[in-house]
Amino acid sequence: MGRSRGDLIVFVGKRLLTLLPVLLGVVTITFIFTHLAVPNPCNVWSGPRATQSTIQQCIVNNDLDKPIFNQYASYLGKLVVGEWGASPRGVPVLPSILAAFPQTLELVLAALVLMVVIGIPLGVIAASNSGRWLDHIVRTFYLSGWATPTYLAAAVLSIAVGPLLGLPRNGAFTSTVPPFPQPFHMSVLDALVALNFSGVVDAIAHLILPASALAFVNMGIATRMTRGSMLEVLPMDYVKTARMKGISDFFVLYKHALRNSLISTVTVIGTTMGGILSTLVVIEEIFLWPGLGSYAYEAITKYNFNGTIGAVIFFAIGVVVANLIADFVYGVLDPRVEWR
Amino acid sequence: MPEPLLVVEDLSIDYEVGAGTFHAVKEVSFRIDPGRVVGIVGETGCGKSTLAHAIPRLLPEPPARIPSGKILFRGMDILKVPKWKLPLVRGTGISMIFQEPINSLNPAFRVFDQLAEAVRIRRLRETGKSPGLAPAMEGFDYSKRKVPKPGDVLAKPVLPSVPEGRKLAPAVDRQALRGDALEYLRLVRINDPETILGLYPHELSGGMRQRIMIAMALSERPSLLIADEPTSALDITIQAQVLTLMKELIEEIRTSILFISHDLGVIAEMADDVGVMYAGHLVEFGPVAEVYTQPRHPYTKALLRANPRQYKGDGPLPSLPGSVPNLSRLPPGCTFHPRCALARPECREPPGPRLEPVSGSPGHRTACYFSEEVATLP
Amino acid sequence: MDAQGRTVKAGASTTPIARAKAFGRWLRSGSLGFYKVMRANPLTLVGFVLVVLISLAALLVAVVPPITTALGYPVQMTPYGPNDLLPCPVVGNRTFCAQPPSVEHWFGTDRAGRDVFSRVLAALPLDLAIGFLIAGFSLAVGGGLGLIAGFWDRPGTVGAAVSLTIMRVTDVFLAFPSLVLALAIAATLGRGTVPCILAILLTWWPYYIRLTRGEVLAVKHQPYVVAARAAGVSEWRILFRHVFRNILEPLVVYLTMDVGTVLVVFSTISYIGIGVPPDVPEWGNMISAYGDYLLIYPWMVIFPGLAVFITVVAFSLLGDGLRDILDPRSRRALAQAEASTTAAATPAAPEA
Repeated sequence: MGRSRGDLIVFVGKRLLTLLPVLLGVVTITFIFTHLAVPNPCNVWSGPRATQSTIQQCIVNNDLDKPIFNQYASYLGKLVVGEWGASPRGVPVLPSILAAFPQTLELVLAALVLMVVIGIPLGVIAASNSGRWLDHIVRTFYLSGWATPTYLAAAVLSIAVGPLLGLPRNGAFTSTVPPFPQPFHMSVLDALVALNFSGVVDAIAHLILPASALAFVNMGIATRMTRGSMLEVLPMDYVKTARMKGISDFFVLYKHALRNSLISTVTVIGTTMGGILSTLVVIEEIFLWPGLGSYAYEAITKYNFNGTIGAVIFFAIGVVVANLIADFVYGVLDPRVEWR
Repeated sequence: MPEPLLVVEDLSIDYEVGAGTFHAVKEVSFRIDPGRVVGIVGETGCGKSTLAHAIPRLLPEPPARIPSGKILFRGMDILKVPKWKLPLVRGTGISMIFQEPINSLNPAFRVFDQLAEAVRIRRLRETGKSPGLAPAMEGFDYSKRKVPKPGDVLAKPVLPSVPEGRKLAPAVDRQALRGDALEYLRLVRINDPETILGLYPHELSGGMRQRIMIAMALSERPSLLIADEPTSALDITIQAQVLTLMKELIEEIRTSILFISHDLGVIAEMADDVGVMYAGHLVEFGPVAEVYTQPRHPYTKALLRANPRQYKGDGPLPSLPGSVPNLSRLPPGCTFHPRCALARPECREPPGPRLEPVSGSPGHRTACYFSEEVATLP
Repeated sequence: MDAQGRTVKAGASTTPIARAKAFGRWLRSGSLGFYKVMRANPLTLVGFVLVVLISLAALLVAVVPPITTALGYPVQMTPYGPNDLLPCPVVGNRTFCAQPPSVEHWFGTDRAGRDVFSRVLAALPLDLAIGFLIAGFSLAVGGGLGLIAGFWDRPGTVGAAVSLTIMRVTDVFLAFPSLVLALAIAATLGRGTVPCILAILLTWWPYYIRLTRGEVLAVKHQPYVVAARAAGVSEWRILFRHVFRNILEPLVVYLTMDVGTVLVVFSTISYIGIGVPPDVPEWGNMISAYGDYLLIYPWMVIFPGLAVFITVVAFSLLGDGLRDILDPRSRRALAQAEASTTAAATPAAPEA
């Protein structure tokens, strides 16, 4: 094992292979909970005024009369070949998710950019002023972000801050159907591709509030970790060496010290990706963001089993890939790491 | 007398930690003349490392605090230099080598990047693009250069060649940086500098890393080099190698060096002058030969006597009674009096003895009322 | 320092007074990491006091019946019943149930005419108990499994197979965003407190497995463990005396902070509307019910929000402080700072 490109490919390949059993487990668990816990969803699916025959029809259509194991096996078989089924109303699952997932990705990326661009320098500032008032302010800030329930932060942003700043607070566009095609399902990117610059502004304006909410409640992770590891790195001799070379304080902090403390920050951001995606559900729901979180919430509350499993699969892929990316960045940042 | 390079006057350093104040360094005064190697010797915790870190203002403040004193470097008081200007003093003015080579190179960057950074700063200062407060040394004095012995295992020393009047390459020229980096790696007798430049610190041995540290410090051509126990963390054989190298380099490049060590033997080999520290105080200072043969402070005497190399097998190795005082509650008067065989009542009276010249030998100073009687001690 | 303190305690002190004085000296000398940290970091003290106050209040609300006459006159922990609909003032032909904070109603009343202060207080035992219950249970299950998975992993043994299984299952659960799984479970089990607890429980323990295993792996190759094994100490004894004792501290710190996190997740599920039933006083529920009226009736949202906030902050501060007290590394740093003979060049620096 080493650090050559071949080693990296093997490493990524191995990690992607472990994704398969994880996905199988995720599907199985979700299947059990949806199908065992709700013995007869057709009563809900068919609506309150359904006749006995329509319910019976529904049961037959959905294989609910067969043993649970057979249901599971046939579902799994269809899943593998890409037939992810449809919602009770007949909307196919996979296209809906494929349209929702990029929107979520856009939101998460925007929040990550905010977390990195604001959160990490804040951590550096706090650490380099450790024990002084600047440090206390930063610590108060990230502690309050961490202690504020997501829904409260989102509600305050949506109801109080949004109107104050004149920012739109619902959805990804002013109208539900944007005046340009959406090949990527990422509002800003689509508007850019369509060269519709008022659209770009509009999309970014819609992105600000949900992304800030997501970033604010998760900012603590980046800031706290950066501050902590900077405090460990700053007394190291190599920081003194850098200072003694005559480098300015800025480069000592942001080149020599931060480079080493980022190693642990990246790992923590990667491992807390699950938590970040969790808060996403609430935030998308509050800001009516047309992403995977809203989709999952709707699927769960409306007993849309196929939709639930599909959304959960995408969430799981998101978590695993985020961890993989974190490990990759970790390896890039730390030359001592070998790909294995 | 030449213009002194560094004058430390009545320097005190405190640490404000939780409950109390620790007087790590108390009213220390000494000077370093150009080209001299000054050693500071003392036990662990006597404040010698704090002193070394304080001169380039490397101590974290707080918890460290410098309540009084002056550090005059080329006539400029470093304690009065604003914080943001400090980088301009460091590097080409004062450079430093640290104790643990494992930690003193940045693990995230290749040797080249770290070395080139130092070279680049020096070049920027030399070309006046970013003039420092303290310019680099004007070329080394090669007159005393040793001719390498034939068959030397290590590569032959190649001199950093910057002839006078030669126009320097642009400061950001990568090729020039590389050339300089290679020259300095060769200067510290590294066999295969091309390969070493591309490696990360964790791929190198401790001795190799310390050589690179030395190369890096020297590549700035500092007028003062501070070496804070540069060999203490190395294996004994590597230690000998690095010391030999440093000794050769001292001969070649007559830069001023402040050499911190707890090892009397190392100081004897390296230094011209030696200062002995005890509990934050400089108790004796003078030319090495004199201090070692005719110590004028009871602590120096005791320290020299406890050296195992002088032990002749006649009974147990002598040791001092008592222990080093708590730095937050120093004894009044002379800090050494509780352990001193010569102590009299006046030794307990504050303020204690100050560093005074010894009669009959200029340059030798000691902080003891009874320095004449030290010779009578066993 | 410690040794000094002990000699003082065990030595000359024969009379009770002398012994008490010696004890006081020992306490003040800072031998107790706790005392030292509290003095060094006032925020930890704030967190500690807050946690004690919150827990005490929760206990009183839970134990003392709504109206007790134990003291000879009626005493009530909450000024009003959490679900009492108080008579609303009528002006003209309109009733105004939503009253802003006043002397009578400290946190005001909500639109149904219920006292917000009483409801916030009444929610305390439920939220806190769930925080402790879920975090504690996760520690027991996840910690135990993590200990096994970390300790017995030599390839080719039965232990290794068990460990591998544990870790694969953990991977699966870690790949779920916990809230999504909790939502799915809560939705399928139906609305209610118990399904909600089950849902969080099921998603919570894997974090403890990962944490514990990581700590075990870091500890088990330490020289003292190897030395114990070389000295012939049995595996079980090594596991409990040398490994478990040394990983306990990070676990306790994590647990403390986690109580707050669980609380937030629990109230989130309520907020989203699949947790506890709407009439149960619960902070997330209260915020959810009147979140849209934030600008019109801010007190209905702000006060329950503040309750969550303060509770989480309190546990987080306490956890941070506990880390300083329990972590041998920072304890050593503290001791070093006060050590008599050595003042290192950088006393604030932890030893690398």
